[in-house]
Amino acid sequence: MAGKEFDTFFLTDPEKIPQEQEIEMILRDLSPGDRRYKYRSFFAKAMVSDLESKYPDRLWVRLGRGQLLEKPWSVKVLEELKKFSDVEGGTS
Amino acid sequence: MAYTYPKDNREFINLLKKYGDLVTVEQEVDWDLEMGAIVRRVCEKKLPSPYFKKIKDYPGFEALGAPLATYRRLAIAMGLGSDASIPEIAEEYVRRTTAEPIPPVLIDRKDAPCKDNILMGEEADLFKLPAPMVHDGDGGRYLATWHFVVSKDPETKDINWGMYRQMVFDEKTMVGPVLPFSDMGKMFYGKFVPKNEPMPFATVIACDPLSGVAASAPSPIPEDQFAGMLMGEPVELVKCETCDLEVPAHAEIIIEGEVIPNMMIEEAPFGEYTGYRTSPREPRTVYRVKAITYRNNPILTVSNMGVPTDEGQLLRSFSLGLEMRKLLESQGIPITGVYMLPESTHHLVVVGVKPAYSGIASQIAGLIFGSKLSPWFHMVIVVDHETDIYSKDEVIHALSTKCHPIRGIHKYDQAPGTPLNPYASPEERKWSRGAKVLFDCTFPLDWPKSDLPIKVAFNTVYPREIQERVLSNWKNYGFQD
Repeated sequence: MAGKEFDTFFLTDPEKIPQEQEIEMILRDLSPGDRRYKYRSFFAKAMVSDLESKYPDRLWVRLGRGQLLEKPWSVKVLEELKKFSDVEGGTS
Repeated sequence: MAYTYPKDNREFINLLKKYGDLVTVEQEVDWDLEMGAIVRRVCEKKLPSPYFKKIKDYPGFEALGAPLATYRRLAIAMGLGSDASIPEIAEEYVRRTTAEPIPPVLIDRKDAPCKDNILMGEEADLFKLPAPMVHDGDGGRYLATWHFVVSKDPETKDINWGMYRQMVFDEKTMVGPVLPFSDMGKMFYGKFVPKNEPMPFATVIACDPLSGVAASAPSPIPEDQFAGMLMGEPVELVKCETCDLEVPAHAEIIIEGEVIPNMMIEEAPFGEYTGYRTSPREPRTVYRVKAITYRNNPILTVSNMGVPTDEGQLLRSFSLGLEMRKLLESQGIPITGVYMLPESTHHLVVVGVKPAYSGIASQIAGLIFGSKLSPWFHMVIVVDHETDIYSKDEVIHALSTKCHPIRGIHKYDQAPGTPLNPYASPEERKWSRGAKVLFDCTFPLDWPKSDLPIKVAFNTVYPREIQERVLSNWKNYGFQD
């Protein structure tokens, strides 16, 4: 049973996505503690697999125009990356 | 002289209620797809605006869906009642917007309801607002669907209000396309990016309806003055908290921040005004948030782009068509009218003209395809003065009977387009390239009069005396209408 749920958009053929190695990607949180934060996006260092049971969290995959793949992948989030230097309370 | 019009979103809601064009939804609705689905169906069925009183997870917030998705609601917003016809609305719009521009007035922040609540710094968190997930499969939640973005030219100080969609990325970040030929795009990419300077912006959500109409109009007049022309008096603005911009004081929600130069983040996909998800997810312009201000118990406005007809299609068609009319009239072309069909997702415009000389249809197409309006549409149908441009039946009849399949169709390649055109190839979308086409539905002037086909209709082939007799006896014959 997956712990958390995320989704992501693959803009290339999913078969070309490097699996079981560290990649940088954008994830959307589908299961936040506070529901108001559902769909919050963040940059992450993560590892993904097309095997649903490989990593602790479930990853739903969408293509460039929002098409959802039927079978979920799995993901291990290693680190959330900060992309902005303008403080002001930003988390990204 | 000020016209009668709703001064804010709340007055507009009351007016819609008065005219029976509002459904108050007391049941709690979910911002996650449910609200969007309701608004989508309302648009497709041309139903009254839904007024959502309870939004899941967001007590104290309300929302108005499909605020201006019908001509009836546009008429109400303009103070014309609910029964004004499209030509009547158009005439009034042209009359008001060809008068003198009316500059806005600045009011004190204590008199500006949009300052009821002010969130700065860490507190300014986009997830505190009930941004809907509009369509399943969208790239994110779109807080700004019926709104406008305020920006100011750093050199000329010209103000721009424009509708640029904004997807919530995280607490502080929104992302959206800013096309290079748009007013804000010219400003941002032309004057801020080369200096690597952020551009201040303010997003105005749920303003009075006429400010929204002004923001969606492709007029050369600055929108803050254009709004005043529609109102007949100055629009009331108030200074922003974090930058040198002013925003409508009576709007429900204001988001202030900066557009970040030389940085892109993935945005979309999104159900677009064409009725498709055409443009894929790709890197687009980044907005960083510094402050959020809002009225007590704010009422968000929610539009839902999709198959016709929603407010984007309707108002853009309306104002684009009428700006073309002004352009053609300014050139002395003997047009009888211009009507852009909202059902065409503002891609097809019908121009009526008295064919006074040969080549007049090509001249019309050349003028409007050569204008700044042209990236947004690609089909022009020119009909003669005897065709009712507002009647789809008559326009289809003219198109299918008077337009020669070869000589009557003129194609223009290598024209500006938008990445949102579903017909365009991926390469054309990438470079905002398009194509244009003119359908000339006028009979050539060099045909002998004896060769001209005669239109067979009630009002063309019967003597006036017979027409009058039939009309005066219509109910006596047993017909109702």
